[in-house]
Order: sequence, then structure tokens, then C-alpha cells
Amino acid sequence: MRAFALFHARPTTPDAFTTLYTYDCAQQLNVLPDGRPVISDPVMLLATGSTTSTAGSKTHFDD
Amino acid sequence: MTVLILTVPEDVTADLVVAALHERAVPVVRLDPAGLPGEVSMSAEYISGDVHGFLSVQGRLVSMNSLRSVWIRRPGTPGADATRRSEQPEWLTTEAERALYGALRCVPAPWMNHPGAAEQARYKPWQLFAAHRAGFAVPATLITTFPQAARKFAEQHPELVVKSVSGTHPGNPPMVLPTTVVPPDPDFSSVSAGPTLLQEYVRKTADIRLTCVGVRQFAAAKKAGPDQVDGRFGSPEDAQWYPVEPPARIARAVRDYMDEAGLAYGAFDFAEDCDGTWWFLECNQSGQFGFVELATGQPITAAIADWLARDGT
Ligand SMILES: Nc1ncnc2c1ncn2[C@@H]1O[C@H](COP(=O)(O)OP(=O)(O)O)[C@@H](O)[C@H]1O
Ligand SMILES: [Mg+2]
Repeated sequence: MRAFALFHARPTTPDAFTTLYTYDCAQQLNVLPDGRPVISDPVMLLATGSTTSTAGSKTHFDD
Repeated sequence: MTVLILTVPEDVTADLVVAALHERAVPVVRLDPAGLPGEVSMSAEYISGDVHGFLSVQGRLVSMNSLRSVWIRRPGTPGADATRRSEQPEWLTTEAERALYGALRCVPAPWMNHPGAAEQARYKPWQLFAAHRAGFAVPATLITTFPQAARKFAEQHPELVVKSVSGTHPGNPPMVLPTTVVPPDPDFSSVSAGPTLLQEYVRKTADIRLTCVGVRQFAAAKKAGPDQVDGRFGSPEDAQWYPVEPPARIARAVRDYMDEAGLAYGAFDFAEDCDGTWWFLECNQSGQFGFVELATGQPITAAIADWLARDGT
């Protein structure tokens, strides 16, 4: 039997943006393909959604 | 003295704080417990009452006794990387978790947040209880597996929302569970299939997010559409977060809640009604703050970096 709350759940799409940057161990920061830190680009930061309180991905528990 | 940050590599919100600590010339070691064992190594010696331990990650070595503070942001599951190749993966996870967090719990450094406090603070039912005690207005809430109790509650509170008890979302397959208004005349029989959280719907004019860092509070509001429910889904196109001043009694209740919960960091969600009352919805002990800071310019990153970097205590 399906739990009551699950009748109100809907499928989600996985984060597509996280692959756009990589973690740089030396700086301990994520960098864009051109080497700039991700945080130097606020537009990009917002677009990734990783800073946002939006349910449903690895970095989004404890929203 | 070094700040230790536990989080997954892709956590760009942690990047903000790492960079702020770099600016303050404060040494930082950032690691993901998922890498222990493997990329992350540890050793701790328990001899005659003293604990001497160190952690190492990708060539960085830090003594646990030289930790200035510990920030738990979005840590991976200890052992997660190794368990893919290991026999007895669940056991190995438990071993790695106990070894790492067990050693860190012996460290005198301040935590944001202590794992014990964090564990308790994640329970939404406890949050509602603590929120009442701290003096917040809290919407009437029922968590039940009795269909009959749900029906009775719905009679008393005709406008209800349903949301998850845990604040987590179903993962297999991946789903989102936004807070949703319960339609009229619902069939509550499936309440018996899982604890169901029903809450009085707050007709709100705005969603409020209040981020508390130590003793500092940053509140922001976002206007809600007329029938809007979950502020994260389908808010009006032009709705933006803007800074607001928390009313004095809210600021006081936040302080009391943080003390009672033993938290150094908390991100509170409120719904503001047309009378200006802030209804407590939840307190996320490691809630996101980047989105508020980027929208409002409130210096939350700096406040976290200052808290983590401060000397002594
Ligand atoms: N009782 C309520 N009345 C109106 N809106 C609500 C209510 N409860 C939650 N919401 C909306 O749904 C959002 C998510 O609910 P919340 O209680 O924060 O749970 P979670 O974030 O764990 O899913 C809130 O930020 C708010 O916008
Ligand atoms: Mg919330």
C-alpha cells in the first residue's frame, strides 16, 4: 500500500550542472573548465542550484 | 590552528567559506568522510587519557589537537568510496564512521554543529516541540498512522498541508515531495501505510528564511503568490529574496531555540501571515545559505568564516 504522502510526490530530474565543474585539491575549491573558481561566477553559482534550498539531490539534504 | 571542513567535493557552498578562510589566512583542511579509507587516512592513539590523532587527505596532514573548529557541511557517508570494492560494505561504513567521528568527538574544538546536537535537531517532531518551548507560533500538526485521527484533524483544520516527516525525498526512484495542500474530502485510508505529517495550512504573504550563525541572525523574505504552498516550487516569477529585520520576539525565540538545541548554526523556515506573524515551520541544522546570500548580499559566508576562525573557546 502506498503511503498517503507519496500520492503527492512527483518524479525529479537529476542535477545536470554538477558535471560542469571539478574539484581542485590544491585550492580545495571547485573550478570551471577554464580554471577559475566556480564562486568567482555568481550567475553560474545560482544556475547550478547547488547553493539553493531545492529538494532532491546529493547536496540538498538538510535544506 | 586549522579549520576542518567535512563535506562532499562538489559542495560549492563550502567553497564560499573556504575562500573566506583563505582571505583571513586561516589554515583549512577540507575532506569528505566518504574517502576514508582511501583518499582520506586517519590515526588516533588512546593512551593514558590523552588522544593524539591526525587526519590526512591528498598530502595535507592535520593534527586533531591543532583543530581550531570543525564545520560539518554536507559530509559523504564514511567509507562510501571504499565500500564499492570491499567485502562487508555496511560493516566497513560503520567502522569508518565510528573511527572518524569517534576520534573527532575527543577534540576540544567547537563544532558547527556537534553531531549529537545535529542528530537531535534533524527530528522535525522534536523541532516542533522545541519551537513551542522557545515561544514561536507553530501551526497545529499531526503525525499519525491512524486514518481516523487524520479525518478528525481535517475536520478541525479544514485547510491542511501534507509533507514528509523527515524532510527527505524518496530516492528509489528519485521523487520530490513538495509540501502540498490536501485536497477536499481526501481518502485518508493510506495514512496507515506510513506515518503522515499533516499541518494546518498557513495563508502566507511571504516565506521567511532566517539563518542563524552563532549569535548573528540574517532574515530574508520572499513574497508568496495567493495560493502558493511550497516556496521552493512555483513561486511568482518576480519573487526575490530580500533582507528583513526579525521582530524582537522572534530574535529572542531563535536564541532560545539555538541554546536548547545546542546548535551553532541553524536555518529557520517561517511562513508570514497577513497579521505579520511568523509561523515556525522548521529549523534545518545545516540548511543552505548560498541562495539567500547571493540574492540579498547578507554576509552569511563571512559570519560562518568568522565563527570558524575565532580563537580560543
Ligand atoms: N503549514 C504550512 N503552510 C504554508 N506553507 C507551508 C507550510 N509548511 C510548509 N510550507 C511551505 O513548504 C516549504 C517546505 O516545507 P518545510 O516545512 O520547510 O519542509 P521541508 O523543507 O523539510 O520539505 C516551506 O518553506 C513553505 O514554503
Ligand atoms: Mg524547509
